[in-house]
Amino acid sequence: MFTGRQPREFLDTKILARLAGMPLFARRAMQGNVSGKHTSPHRGASVEFAEYRKYVPGDDLRRLDWRAYGRSDRFYIKEFEADTNLRCCVVLDTSGSMDFGTTGTTKIQYARQIAASLGYLAVQQGDAIGLHCFADGIVKNVPAKRNAAHLSLIFDTLEQAIPEGPTQLISVLHELAETIRQRALIVVISDFFVDPAELRGCFEHLRFRKHDLAAFQLLDPAELEFTFQRPTRFLDMEGGPAIFAEPNVIADRYQTALNEYLKQLQQIVLETGVDYHRTRIDEPFEQALMRFLVGRTRGRGVR
Amino acid sequence: MSFLQPWMLLALPLVALPVIIHLINQRRFQTMPWAAMMFLLAANRMSRGYARLRQWLILLFRMLAIAGLLFVISRPLASGWLGATAGGGADATIVILDRSPSMQQIGTGSNSSKLDTARRQLSDALATLGTSRLVLIDSGDSSARELESIEAISDATDTGPAGNTADLAGMLKTAYDYVKANRVGRADVWIVSDLRESDWESGSGRWDALRDNFASLPQTTKFHLLAYSEPTAQNRSIRVTNVRRQQQGDTTNLLVSLSLSGDENNTAEGEFPLQFEIEGARSETTIALTGGSAEIKDHPIPIDSQLVRGWGRVSIPADTNPADNDAYFVFAEPAPRKTILVSDDPETSRPLLLAAQISPDPNVAATAETVNRDQLATIPWEEVALLVWQGDLPSAAEQKPIDAFVQAGGQVLFFPPKIIGSQQAYGLSWQPWISDDKGAEVSNWRGDEDLLANTISGASLPVGKLKIHKYAGLKGEYTPLASLDEQHPLLVRANRFTNDPAGNRDTTSLSGPPGIYFCTTTPNPGDSTLARDGVVLYVAIQRAILRGSEALGDTRSLDAGASEAVDWRAVSVNEDAISSQYGIQPGIYETSQKLLAINRSKAEDSATLVSDQKLESLFQGLDFSRVDDQAGSLRSLVNEIWRLFLIIMIVAMIVEAALCLPQKRTANEGAATP
Repeated sequence: MFTGRQPREFLDTKILARLAGMPLFARRAMQGNVSGKHTSPHRGASVEFAEYRKYVPGDDLRRLDWRAYGRSDRFYIKEFEADTNLRCCVVLDTSGSMDFGTTGTTKIQYARQIAASLGYLAVQQGDAIGLHCFADGIVKNVPAKRNAAHLSLIFDTLEQAIPEGPTQLISVLHELAETIRQRALIVVISDFFVDPAELRGCFEHLRFRKHDLAAFQLLDPAELEFTFQRPTRFLDMEGGPAIFAEPNVIADRYQTALNEYLKQLQQIVLETGVDYHRTRIDEPFEQALMRFLVGRTRGRGVR
Repeated sequence: MSFLQPWMLLALPLVALPVIIHLINQRRFQTMPWAAMMFLLAANRMSRGYARLRQWLILLFRMLAIAGLLFVISRPLASGWLGATAGGGADATIVILDRSPSMQQIGTGSNSSKLDTARRQLSDALATLGTSRLVLIDSGDSSARELESIEAISDATDTGPAGNTADLAGMLKTAYDYVKANRVGRADVWIVSDLRESDWESGSGRWDALRDNFASLPQTTKFHLLAYSEPTAQNRSIRVTNVRRQQQGDTTNLLVSLSLSGDENNTAEGEFPLQFEIEGARSETTIALTGGSAEIKDHPIPIDSQLVRGWGRVSIPADTNPADNDAYFVFAEPAPRKTILVSDDPETSRPLLLAAQISPDPNVAATAETVNRDQLATIPWEEVALLVWQGDLPSAAEQKPIDAFVQAGGQVLFFPPKIIGSQQAYGLSWQPWISDDKGAEVSNWRGDEDLLANTISGASLPVGKLKIHKYAGLKGEYTPLASLDEQHPLLVRANRFTNDPAGNRDTTSLSGPPGIYFCTTTPNPGDSTLARDGVVLYVAIQRAILRGSEALGDTRSLDAGASEAVDWRAVSVNEDAISSQYGIQPGIYETSQKLLAINRSKAEDSATLVSDQKLESLFQGLDFSRVDDQAGSLRSLVNEIWRLFLIIMIVAMIVEAALCLPQKRTANEGAATP
């Protein structure tokens, strides 16, 4: 597939091979245009029986259940579930804060790995994949398509994504909720460093549009543990004012603020039904993805 | 609080080290790009009260730990009274030790007296503080002597109990003289006393001079008073007021008059045992107490009729002060009461002769004779008790035998001549006569002591009824006993014993003040009513004769410390007394001529204390500090308290460590995936 090309640093073929055995399911009914692995809101021609309904003139006589007619002397049409493909839209945060990382890898690198792997998995099972990079607004917009050449475009876009500028996550999510056609799988990869109350509105908006929303919150261990010793001048990576702090003094309150934020976010994602994954970037992304895929397998079948 | 190593406190600025390190640390900040600014901003907005307090507390406890360490190595002393006395800084430590009988009071619940406790406390304190030169001025002889070791304060026998009243002002004068003579740099004067007014005489004019003297010294002198002002409790004291030998027919009795007094709170009634010891033979009797005290007049004790001269002792059971439980007395046949009258005026000499000739005691004969001035050499001075001199003051040649007479205890009473001469004697000279037709009255006189003292029953002499029509002026130094007004005395006692112009009183051979009196008028009816209202004249003359005859008799009762013990042999005395201290130890002694009874002075029976305000005023302007201790106290005056600071340091370090402990991360569940 990638012969003759410079290998992408965010792609690991071994990991992709291992993940390939795990299908990517949608948790909600999707509206694809070809058949696929995902449940559809419409009746179709799968092997899975859905229901009987009364015959109305014009129905295909081949779908008439003769056995039922023999037993009840009435005409019934036997209907089956439809399986379709999905549109997977990866929304990637490329604001300045995504360039942060203290464990050898940055959040943007980690996000590229997740996004690329998801794209590969989607295309491999016939789903469409799109990519929306945003910072101060939507920086790059690659619509969802399902061919292999498109995947290459996605990879190129990922490779070229540069983290800079402030985050406008809220407005971007509202905008995407409207612009992406209904019933898509939207995967947001960001650090979500915004007010949780405002996030709630976004999530409800996306849910209203019948999107299946998944969120990867990328957090660095340093942000979670805040184990600095020396007095430190913290420079805002998104251009805000710098803060001078004595870690010994401020650590408690930092932890309090962080825990409060995480607690609120947890509450919101539970209430809005977001497939939320808090991910430490020192954890192998394979594990994070595996957890994501396994979780979706369990939640499959909701129509 | 003071320190044995005060210079270590120079390192106190090191206490600021934690703050300095903190500030340096603040300067050594790192710069870091940071993504999660929203949490830092939120943390900054949050209440930072406790966190900031904790930071300051940590700094505070670090400083406290360093301060504790510095204090430990500075060796602090727990002593309220040492004030800013930096240990070991004084060139000389002068100890003024009050050994008076009242200092032998035993503390409640202990068997240690005030004096013992004070000696031990002082020697412990000085051992801790250290001193380069230790000088002791004890109330025994009020002289300064250097001690070789600090232990000598508590161990030496000559710092033990004594019977004489302390003269604190005199001892401080000795201290001043020592400081001045030895050019001591910085002196610490430690005064140990029970604050009895009898020892301090706080009203004395000497204190003003002393204060000025010390204040004028170029070097610093610090005064520390170790006061044992605990009042007496359950104490009684015994005193013999009079002893007479009386022969009636075949029986010979010793008539002993004594007084037993208790302290104010000790007003028990009932029988009280007394033990008499006459020449070693003991007998016991009981007396009835009235209001806690008792007075016995002429209690008869039968003695051998052959015993004409002897000694005795009265004892009461042991109480809180053993020093006033014994009273010693001596007795002998009454000495002849002979008066020599030198006068050139018969009208004046007649009342004097009568007053001298009539004995108040029928058992004792009193004689008086008039002699001319040129017959002085023929007078048998050893038989004379009183010399009454009316006329020009004696010349230098005439004065010699009189000096010897006074030195032996004889009394002299001078009356002015008709025509005033220019002669001077004993620092005094007559001035011209002053007439007062109406008759001057005596405005004040001393009723507490000396010739015009009140009677035993407390009634005062009718001195105020006298009318003085003519009186002579008097120039010189004297102690007035009765005065007409501020400038004109009626009766005075000479201060000087010799005619030494420097005025130094030679008291070595005298017991008490010299018996030289000057009366500025005469009993001549034209001069005064002394003869007509003869009571005053008679009592004064008889008292002078009594004093003289007592001094001339075979026996003598003296106050402790009143006379120097030269060639004394102990007859009955406390076995601890050493021969060099005989003069100040109560007891019975014998010299080649006399039998002596030494008792504590009468002033010791007064429990009046110097008031705190008065005490402060005595040392006003001087570097003075005071601490009160109690007899039998086990609490040291000076304690090294470095352990306390060590504990403070350790506690500070533990608290600092506890505050520095990272707080338990309550919710790092954020690290895990939900």
